Amino acid sequence: MTEDASMRTEPKDSDWIRVTSKNGFSYLARRNVVNASGTLKNMLDVDSNFAEGISRVCPIEERPYIVEKLMEYMMFKAYYSKVGPKEDIPVHDFMERIPAPIVLELLLAADYQDM
Amino acid sequence: MASGLRSTRGRGKTIKAPKRHGPEVSVDATWTQLSQNLKEVLNNNAEKLSFEENHRFAYNLVLWKSGALLYKGVMELVVANLAKLAHEDVTPSFPTGAASDPVHQSHEAEMLLKALRRIWDDHTGNMTKLSQLLSYMDRIYTKSADVPQTREAGLKLFFEHILRPPSAIQEHVIAAILSQIQSERDGYVINRSALKECVDVFLSLETEKDGPSAYERDLEPAILKESQKFYASEGEKLIDSCDAPEYLRRVEARFTSEEDRTHHYLSPHSHPPLRKILEDHLLTAHSSTVISLPNSGLDVMIDHNQFDDLARLYRLFIMVPSGLPCLRKALKESVASRGRGVNKASSDPTDIATDTGQGKASGGGKPRIATSAAQTLSLALKWVQDILDLKDHFDQILIRSFKSDREIESALNEVFESVVNSNERCSEFISLFIDDHLKRGLKGKSDTEIDAVLDKTITIFRYVADKDVFERYYKGHLAKRLLHGRSVSDDAERGMLAKLKVECGYQFTHKLEGMFHDMKLSDDTMQAYRTHLEQSNPPDVPISVTVMTSSVWPVTQPNVSCSLPPALGKSCKSFEQFYLSRHSGRRLIWQMSLGNADVKVAFKNRTHELNVSTFALVTLLLFEDLPADEFLTYSEIREATSIEDSELKRHLQSLACAKYKVLKKHPPGREIEETDSFSFNEDFSANLQKIKISTVVSKVETAEERKATKGHVDEERRHQIEACIVRIMKDRKHMTHNDLVHQVARQLSARFAPEPADIKKRIEGLIEVRVSCSLPSSWHIPDAMALQREYLERCNDRKSYNYLVCVKRLRWSLLRLELLT
Repeated sequence: MTEDASMRTEPKDSDWIRVTSKNGFSYLARRNVVNASGTLKNMLDVDSNFAEGISRVCPIEERPYIVEKLMEYMMFKAYYSKVGPKEDIPVHDFMERIPAPIVLELLLAADYQDM
Repeated sequence: MASGLRSTRGRGKTIKAPKRHGPEVSVDATWTQLSQNLKEVLNNNAEKLSFEENHRFAYNLVLWKSGALLYKGVMELVVANLAKLAHEDVTPSFPTGAASDPVHQSHEAEMLLKALRRIWDDHTGNMTKLSQLLSYMDRIYTKSADVPQTREAGLKLFFEHILRPPSAIQEHVIAAILSQIQSERDGYVINRSALKECVDVFLSLETEKDGPSAYERDLEPAILKESQKFYASEGEKLIDSCDAPEYLRRVEARFTSEEDRTHHYLSPHSHPPLRKILEDHLLTAHSSTVISLPNSGLDVMIDHNQFDDLARLYRLFIMVPSGLPCLRKALKESVASRGRGVNKASSDPTDIATDTGQGKASGGGKPRIATSAAQTLSLALKWVQDILDLKDHFDQILIRSFKSDREIESALNEVFESVVNSNERCSEFISLFIDDHLKRGLKGKSDTEIDAVLDKTITIFRYVADKDVFERYYKGHLAKRLLHGRSVSDDAERGMLAKLKVECGYQFTHKLEGMFHDMKLSDDTMQAYRTHLEQSNPPDVPISVTVMTSSVWPVTQPNVSCSLPPALGKSCKSFEQFYLSRHSGRRLIWQMSLGNADVKVAFKNRTHELNVSTFALVTLLLFEDLPADEFLTYSEIREATSIEDSELKRHLQSLACAKYKVLKKHPPGREIEETDSFSFNEDFSANLQKIKISTVVSKVETAEERKATKGHVDEERRHQIEACIVRIMKDRKHMTHNDLVHQVARQLSARFAPEPADIKKRIEGLIEVRVSCSLPSSWHIPDAMALQREYLERCNDRKSYNYLVCVKRLRWSLLRLELLT
């Protein structure tokens, strides 16, 4: 990873991005998935060249459980933003997968992540 | 979709965020830390900083309701940074003004532009980073506080602190841009990309919200002003120093280079005003001067077939509204002056052949007599050919240089029409030209060539206003061709007829077709006659007769008769009997003057076959039984043949004074006098077995003949106008004077251009009760009927007319019809 960072290659959708949470959990996702979050996208912007953009490691200061849900949503958004206009988007299914107790916390995190 | 998801999940605004336990760190401490980091970002040291950390600082500050502090602080940082950049980078690049050499100056200007671009790039890069870091502020704070987002604020700050007084930068930059443009116009090479990048800065800056860009407000007017100044003097300079083609070349180069310029580094938005400046100063201001430049203007270009230059002229001139009219006017003048030349050349020997005026309308004219007439013929041919060449030349130019522009075409048509019609003998000349081509020109030319020539002639014919005059001449010439079998190709004749039909309609060619019809009928009749002769006993002299319908053929001269020798008389009688037995109720009138004959004459050396006109034959036959050394005086011949003086003289001349001298004239001479006497020339010899003695050369009319023709034409026109008036009034019943005149003129325009005064006269003629005394009393027409000629009546307002239908007139016209038929 450090090698890649020093090379400053063009960003590719298929780049692997590591997202870390509190308590030391980390998640790997493609760049196009992570781009579903505005904040993460800015963070990884190659032109601006912040530390995270170079290392391709993005911290999200939330509980692992929340981060996992965020990642799940990013996958969901990245996948369905590409399907044709006629295809049904199972928003309801997704909402049912959000447990009620974490709703507020998740909402706050999503707002911070601009997604 | 994303928004849909968001809305279902809600936002911090609608659902209150869970309360935090107050700021863990103080606002001030957070800001101090953040501002430190932001300074680092502005110094391009972002890679050392954590995005997440700083983003969270900003996030916290906004959450802690310190957005205003954050925003203001950031702006201050940006302003300070801009000042630093300007001071470090741009100000040192200001031109020193010391350099006088243009290359150096240009270099300095380029450096300044590059510096400006550098700080611009720096600044926008910074602003991007800041806006990324402060995205939460942009999302939440700027909206509620109604201030521009980070990025826009950055552009605004740049504009306010760099490109606006009191900063001297703008002034210097604009001056640098202008000097760069100027040096490119002067032919130096400049760094276009530096210029373009700099102009882009101006383009992307808005002077106020949704207002014009800095480019539109500050840069463009300066550029336009400078351009205006430059091209005003450039126009003057070029017109003084260049000839027309060179001027046009330069101007076109200017146009392309300016277009190139706007395309490459100025805004496309500036193209129209720049172009307008060019058009105003290089074209509109000088168009008429260029076109009429002596030794190189339009006329000279046309003379030298400079198609490319002419095409350039056209391309440039259609850009400006005054260009095309100017070009049209100049073209018209050019054609008109050339046309005048052609017309003048054709009318120089005006009083041709007044002395040889004794007839050349029929029979066998002699080429010798008519030298001057032949000259006129060649003059006619030359005139048509010249006009054709002229037209060809301009058509070429029209197609090759003027893209067949409609307006120019119509201008050319107009001027050609006036040129052609300004030669009052145009109809005659054109007819002669066609005649000549159908008779002689066909030899040695292919059918397609002939067709092309005739096609072109038709285009000239189209310009002729008095088509009826042409018809008259064409009829005469066609009749001669048909009767004397001079027409080389029947197909060509019919082709020509078809062309005329297309041009002028059925009416026009009706009679001409009738002539062809008669020729065909006569062939059939002759066939039948010969079969008839085989069964009965044939007369000694075989004859071939063409029966012509008198209303169709132009038989202009009164019937000149002669007393035929008995042998011929018998043949005629025989045919007459045959013909009348087939068609009852017809009358045959022999037109001797139009005929010709083959006769075998035994001279001393050999026997020749002569082809002579009927009159010449009759004359020759007088010498048949005469001893070789005896004479016949002129008066004896006249008595024996009873041919009219003028005709007789002409035929004697062709027999005794022309190329083949079958008769001897005593005393010898060129002109026939009444005191002359003639004898048979036994010693006559020629190389050819068959000799054609009299040739009908279609000649130009003499002045008198022309006057006669004009009289005929005028009379015909009078009838046509009257007929037309009655036709119109019959249809309309009531009409005002002006409408009527207009209608008549319109309907007749296909045939000729009637004068309004003439029409008025005709109308009056139709109104007045004419007391006619010219009717022969033998007609026994009741006075009341003969005197009435009221077709129209004038209304009380004295401006319009009513059509009168009255029984009397109907009967009268019936009566007249009978009398005429």
